[in-house]
Amino acid sequence: MTYVSALAALADPTRRQVFERLKFGPQPVSVIARGMPVSRPAVSQHLKALKEAGLVADRPEGTRRVYFIDPQGLGELRRWLDQFWDEALAAFQTEVERGASDQESKGK
Amino acid sequence: MTMAVKIAPVRKTIRVNATQARAFDAFTSGLGRWWPRDHSIGNKPMKAAVMETRLGGRWYELAEDGTQANVGRIIVWEPPQRFVMTWDINSHWKPDTTISSEVEVRFVADGANATRVELEHRKFEQMGAEAGESMRKDVDGGWPRLLELFRTEAA
Repeated sequence: MTYVSALAALADPTRRQVFERLKFGPQPVSVIARGMPVSRPAVSQHLKALKEAGLVADRPEGTRRVYFIDPQGLGELRRWLDQFWDEALAAFQTEVERGASDQESKGK
Repeated sequence: MTMAVKIAPVRKTIRVNATQARAFDAFTSGLGRWWPRDHSIGNKPMKAAVMETRLGGRWYELAEDGTQANVGRIIVWEPPQRFVMTWDINSHWKPDTTISSEVEVRFVADGANATRVELEHRKFEQMGAEAGESMRKDVDGGWPRLLELFRTEAA
């Protein structure tokens, strides 16, 4: 799963709401679905999409399954941006230091 | 305790052999001299990256055919210490004002002739959350040209 699908997964307002409901800690589907405008099976589908996007993980807790926000979520986007900014800043460094030595050699 | 949903920012720090003022100027008004050509977000060959060095100014890409693609807008402008800009690029790495993360670059003097440049790319959680509201603003008369560009891109 790429970061593209991870962000696309969050763009759906209902799915976003499901995701937000996990911010206070791990919850079972029954609790997440409480008060939601959509059915519990629909909430399960959203959780599945969030899980596939790498945003949410689950684990068994007793007889039920709880869902929680995956702290490593969007790891791929971060790795990609890591490289993007590394390359940009390296180019900046070369330019600014070249500029500085030009300036010195001109005796300014 | 409440905890907001937050996605960890990307942080980068480099030290350059240049004064704070020089580093700030080279990064901002000198953007076109160093921004890698292959870091393009437009769909046309990039001639240069340009920053309008003022609050509210744009960071955009100038294509070889003269067209522009907006990357973001400056929302904090404090030369030579720091600036913050929106990064209006979607997850397909294309211009999209409906989706904004945020980039802050700080310039900290480190001795007489060196500067620590700290870059933080953050608020990725907004990329999903703000889509709905920003979309309305655009439809209400925001940046129609860019939206058109996005439509073409998304098609």
